[in-house]
Amino acid sequence: MGAPLSARAGAVLVVARAMIGATIIVGVSLPVGFAQVRDRDPSWAAPPEARAKVNPLLDRPEAVAGGGKLFQQRCATCHGDEGRGTLKAPDLTGREVQAQTDGELYWKISTGQTHAGMPAFSFLPEQQRWQLVLHLRGAPSNQH
Amino acid sequence: MSVRLVWLCLVLALANAPTAFAQERAYFVTYDHYLEEPGNLEIAVANTIGMPKGDHGAYWAPWLELEYGFTGWWTAEFYLEGVTTRRDGSGLTGWRWENRFRPLKGEHRVNPVFYIEYENINEASRIQKEIVGSGSLSFEPIADLRQEHVHELEVKLILSSALAAWNLSENLIVEKNLSRSEGFEFGYSVGLSRSLGGLASGTSCHVCRENFVAGIEAYGGLGTSKERTLTDTRQFIAPVIAWHVTDRSTLKASTAFGLTDASDRYLVRVGWAYELSGWGRR
Repeated sequence: MGAPLSARAGAVLVVARAMIGATIIVGVSLPVGFAQVRDRDPSWAAPPEARAKVNPLLDRPEAVAGGGKLFQQRCATCHGDEGRGTLKAPDLTGREVQAQTDGELYWKISTGQTHAGMPAFSFLPEQQRWQLVLHLRGAPSNQH
Repeated sequence: MSVRLVWLCLVLALANAPTAFAQERAYFVTYDHYLEEPGNLEIAVANTIGMPKGDHGAYWAPWLELEYGFTGWWTAEFYLEGVTTRRDGSGLTGWRWENRFRPLKGEHRVNPVFYIEYENINEASRIQKEIVGSGSLSFEPIADLRQEHVHELEVKLILSSALAAWNLSENLIVEKNLSRSEGFEFGYSVGLSRSLGGLASGTSCHVCRENFVAGIEAYGGLGTSKERTLTDTRQFIAPVIAWHVTDRSTLKASTAFGLTDASDRYLVRVGWAYELSGWGRR
């Protein structure tokens, strides 16, 4: 039977064990994380009542700037600063996205597609989600 | 390598990491259905300052939390925790490994999340990230309590809803001490919160309503499988507030008021979280 560890040595042992445990768990987990499906899901479509919704901020042009700020905070990391897409997320300025109604875009921002990496932004106040839609309509490549 | 150099490297690494907007959860105990975004790493430090009833001295229980979004449906967290008291000593109290899984795609009226956590802690643990079972905290010297190691498995069912501007979350908790035959311990937490903002302003601002989330949470024990009674359980109610100080960081605070004889008088909690994106991903 060994001598009891000092409090300091015991603390170091706890931290060392914790770090080793965390490293092993993360090492095992990372490949699973990378294997997540990022393909588009054709079933991710807004229901008719959501598609028909009209943006209540259409007559409030002052709200566009706030949408731009929110986009930089919430969306640019994945979709790029101008929304033209990255390896992680699609181009939001293209025809496929812009052909959708404001209601569809609002629904997709709200519900997300968590299994493909798109978070749900239902925690944002409704007005802010509509501001994001306003910004998407006014993104640089849509202005010509 | 000197400690100063290590700190400098760490600060530079954090300063140059890609920005990720901080998550919204204002609660300390209750979980909602919003997981960490894939590839995002949140580093948080928080603490519980407990003010017990009677002659027992106050304690301070800090913890470090690393939260990583592996996928859109899986978030994992690692905790390292400790405790210090004025009269009874200080020490590390262990570590925890937590996983949350969101089984359903998209957003629903009620969004379930499954939570499983392994805890390698000791009886001196006082962070009280969850409260289960019955009985008040033990106020023996920390050195004695640290000798009593426990391995626990904790499972939660998280139910969370977005109701207009509000979030309503309910957590049901079952905990099993794997080290002893104590049966199962039960607990709960419920939270209601909302962003204080409406329209986002077009300019950058720090102290404006859109950067604040406020709410309230209630949590406590629901007895054990061997003692099916609420007598002697700890129950708390706590207003909470979160302030997104910058795009990357959030400051949270809460004061929990003990509602039963077994509860501490107050639990004051303060936490700060820093969010980084693109860790382990292209």
